[in-house]
Amino acid sequence: MSEHQTRSGIPLKPVYTPDDLKGKNYDEQLGTPGDFPYTRGRRADPSGGWMHRELSGEGDPARSNEQLKYLMTQGQIGLDVIGDSPTMAFMDPDHPLAANAIGTQGVSICCLDDFRTLYKDIPLDSVVVSASLPPAITAAALYLLAKENNVPLDQIRGSVIQAPFYAEDCGYAVHMPFRLRLRMAANCVEFCSKEMPRFHSFVEDTYFFNQAGLNAVDEMALGFIEIRHLTRELLRRGVDIDSFAPRIAILVDCNMDFFEEIAKIRATRRLFAKMMKEEFGAKDRRSLSAVITSHTSGLSLTPQQPVNNIVRGTVQSLALVLAGVQALEISAFDEAYRTPSPESHMVALRTQQILHLESNVAKVVDPLGGSYFIESLTDEMEERICKRIQEIEALGDPADLSDKGWFRKFFEETMAEYSRKIADGSMPKVGLNIFQIPEEEDTLLKEIVEGKIEPWWERIDKVKEYKGNRDPGRIKDALSAVLETAKDEDKNLMGATMEAFEAGATMGEIGGAMRLAYNCPYDPHGLIESPI
Amino acid sequence: MKRIKIFVGILGMDQHELGAIAVAQMLRDAGMEVIYGGRFNVPATVVKTSLEEDLDVIGLSCHSWEYLHYLPDMFKMMKEEKIDVPVIVGGSVITPGDKKRLLEMGVAAAFPSGARNEDIIETVRNLAQ
Repeated sequence: MSEHQTRSGIPLKPVYTPDDLKGKNYDEQLGTPGDFPYTRGRRADPSGGWMHRELSGEGDPARSNEQLKYLMTQGQIGLDVIGDSPTMAFMDPDHPLAANAIGTQGVSICCLDDFRTLYKDIPLDSVVVSASLPPAITAAALYLLAKENNVPLDQIRGSVIQAPFYAEDCGYAVHMPFRLRLRMAANCVEFCSKEMPRFHSFVEDTYFFNQAGLNAVDEMALGFIEIRHLTRELLRRGVDIDSFAPRIAILVDCNMDFFEEIAKIRATRRLFAKMMKEEFGAKDRRSLSAVITSHTSGLSLTPQQPVNNIVRGTVQSLALVLAGVQALEISAFDEAYRTPSPESHMVALRTQQILHLESNVAKVVDPLGGSYFIESLTDEMEERICKRIQEIEALGDPADLSDKGWFRKFFEETMAEYSRKIADGSMPKVGLNIFQIPEEEDTLLKEIVEGKIEPWWERIDKVKEYKGNRDPGRIKDALSAVLETAKDEDKNLMGATMEAFEAGATMGEIGGAMRLAYNCPYDPHGLIESPI
Repeated sequence: MKRIKIFVGILGMDQHELGAIAVAQMLRDAGMEVIYGGRFNVPATVVKTSLEEDLDVIGLSCHSWEYLHYLPDMFKMMKEEKIDVPVIVGGSVITPGDKKRLLEMGVAAAFPSGARNEDIIETVRNLAQ
């Protein structure tokens, strides 16, 4: 017996043989790419490759607009913008707690004008605009921008992330109760399924919470728990499964366990297909084949010898390409220290282009399909993910688990465990806990990591001025309408949100009005007054 | 021997909590009393906690650049309140250049990524005396 195992604890044999695939039926387990159960991929045609993009956004919307346009001149296909930490928390830049974080870890966005600037000169009918920004607000903004620019709504492509379960406990707290977070997600998906049919309004993001140090089985189990819960909620609200399931995408993390990550993605496609067909009764073929997008692991990077992170990004990207993802982003080599520099962004984009154009790895769909090892590992991953979903769902209503802090505790434990493994060396990290070099010798690329983005303090006065120039009566009415709509669970929040946004209300104000409707303080930090 | 009391928290809107949670646990395991301040602290909350809890050491976990802008304010407030408690910082974002600047600013110790647990514990024990 071998003592080796994958990162999530699956025992590994030294060699795999046809015996490992005995009793497996090709059509049932695998199928041709493009056919149920989609284990081998969504499509049989490899020519589309994958969407090369890098997560971007910094400073104010005008600065981010420049950054996006520059990346597109360098061959980036599609955009993915992340907000700074106040933006992600529904907090305007003039909030006292926001000041030192404005624009440093993403773009600072708070009103419809900001979205206009962010996407200025970017053709919304041809560029895929994905956003790691508050989803309902972003979908509302894209809808309004499309209308303003006479772009047909069925040509808007892109995505937003729905993270009602884990964001609060794991890096993106918005200080809203679970019930409100779930409803906002359901309202947004329902609205988009009707109004923007090609837009992926339901991205399940397992990446960000996996940065709490989970293993691949737990990552996908938690992801499926969220997908299943939000799907049930949409069905309960009378939304047809085939109206939104084709627009579900899963954004996965990719860590260093090469084959396990590939098996994870293949198992995820199969599980998703079976779940949609057998459990939720989806009939449209497109409802069964999940779009998989991906981000290489920031957690796997080391501040020591940052050049080594380029190797980590390359290894992880290769795994993702071999697994057949639809879009890929590489965590930039300086991310352990900072928001990506222009230099590291470029290396990440070039890594993708070299893989795509020089290595020939993406010319055949699912090139590892049929491997005794990969198929065996895919089966094992599927079984373990399924079992884990059942175990957690058996603990009770996932909504209760969330409210009672079960997931918070779970993440605290995985974080502590991950740190322990790094500290005791049981998880080798080259340059960090093994093969270290003295700090004075660790100089390569260090001038880049010393670079910093200063907070965009000038945004504070600009936003204050913007707020001061509005019609106070109109803002108050619009926010009151958000509050009243939010009090009625059966209403969709998107209409009132769009009206408020159009009237000039900000994200912080709209979020605050929704909190009030759910008996939460307008400002969770107790530092600013409610305007309504 | 008096049990060491240390605050562990994060300043501003930085929500990366892995380091803070891991260090808090590690210090508890080393027998210290950890006042876990979690996320969303500002200089005023840290100073208030220090006054109320009679802390031996203040520990800040840093995974955004916000701490660089908050620390001068915090030191100023501590001086005004006559709080003489050593402040230590830790986190992967701390570059060699930052470490130098932090020590000049009055930070008692700075631990970039890769710091050994034993070194952190020993430093806290020495500072608490």
